[in-house]
Amino acid sequence: MAVMNRGAMIALAVGIGAAVAASGSVAHNEPMPKGKMSASAHAAHMRHENFEKLGGAFKGLNDELRKGEPDRALVARHAQTMATLTNALPGWFPKGSGVEARPKSEAKANIWTDPTDFAAKASASQVQVSKLNQAAVAGDFAAVRAQVRPVGGTCKGCHDVYRQEKKKS
Amino acid sequence: MVRARVWDGPIRLVHWLLVGLIGFSWWSSEDHLDWHRWSGYAVLGLVVFRVYWGLFGSETARFASFVKGPRAIRAYLPKALSRDPAGGLGHNPLGALSIVAILALLVMQVTTGLFAVDVDGFESGPLSDRVTFDTGRVFAELHELSFRGLQAMVLLHIAAVAFYLVWKRTNLIRPMVTGRQEVPEDPGFRFAPVWRLAVGVVIAAAVAWFVSRGLRL
Repeated sequence: MAVMNRGAMIALAVGIGAAVAASGSVAHNEPMPKGKMSASAHAAHMRHENFEKLGGAFKGLNDELRKGEPDRALVARHAQTMATLTNALPGWFPKGSGVEARPKSEAKANIWTDPTDFAAKASASQVQVSKLNQAAVAGDFAAVRAQVRPVGGTCKGCHDVYRQEKKKS
Repeated sequence: MVRARVWDGPIRLVHWLLVGLIGFSWWSSEDHLDWHRWSGYAVLGLVVFRVYWGLFGSETARFASFVKGPRAIRAYLPKALSRDPAGGLGHNPLGALSIVAILALLVMQVTTGLFAVDVDGFESGPLSDRVTFDTGRVFAELHELSFRGLQAMVLLHIAAVAFYLVWKRTNLIRPMVTGRQEVPEDPGFRFAPVWRLAVGVVIAAAVAWFVSRGLRL
């Protein structure tokens, strides 16, 4: 490669600077705020933390499945976490815990105006995660792999209707 | 006037494949993440190839032949704005900036995509198992942010080509299709031999394949 001229050096420096600035502008996951807050705000923050755990567990499970020889105990642990969280999920949405309680909340108002459908979608998710968990307990990786897509589908099925994506930045 | 050869086949193919794949990646980013990943690997291969071609390829493709410093860019500005048809062949000093910027943004785009994780922890890039869920989410945000930058650069690129067509009556699109341009005299650019192309294709395909496998053989 020819020796880099001054213009190219400047362009590179500006590019790196812009990339660093851009990454700084993306806030990391917020921790639970300290101090007193209303029960609704607390519920909204707890819900956020729980969804973080749920996503983390699903990612952990998927990461493990990518390996040639997944760790059976680890897969089972992640699946168990997912099952526990998904079963508790319907209780994470007390009335009043939407954006009014936490402005960054991505929960849409129709969760509370269309509770029957919301409950049905949550229930569908529980069914699929339960199947995933059973396969994981049995150590049947082929069945776990086959169950990943249906589970992801129920996450998305609910999020498409009841979640308003918001930028972290 | 002679029809001089300006752009070789690989350059034109890379250009138009990128056009198609960037559009396809955009479309598939919402509901077709399997295709989106494949599209991303193809873009990765094309970018690797373009960098290789910028170092070892044909004369008009080489960075050393078209990336210019601030003085040359400033000197070119009045020529770019005048109504005279563009005389030069290949990338002009100003266009070189947009080539470098688009390539850099594509590198950003592919790299952030490799580590990105969706909100459900379900869809993810092939290297996302190297980072935590939170970090993967940050990469997903950066992936969107860099796409805004890429969209802006593509718009600027199209606007510049339209400006040349209307204001300067210079058609830059046809040469990118046919590889040839009408000029008073053929500058006699040097074009890389086929074996170099073969080496580049093998390298690009190997890199894209290896990355798509999560860097596992």
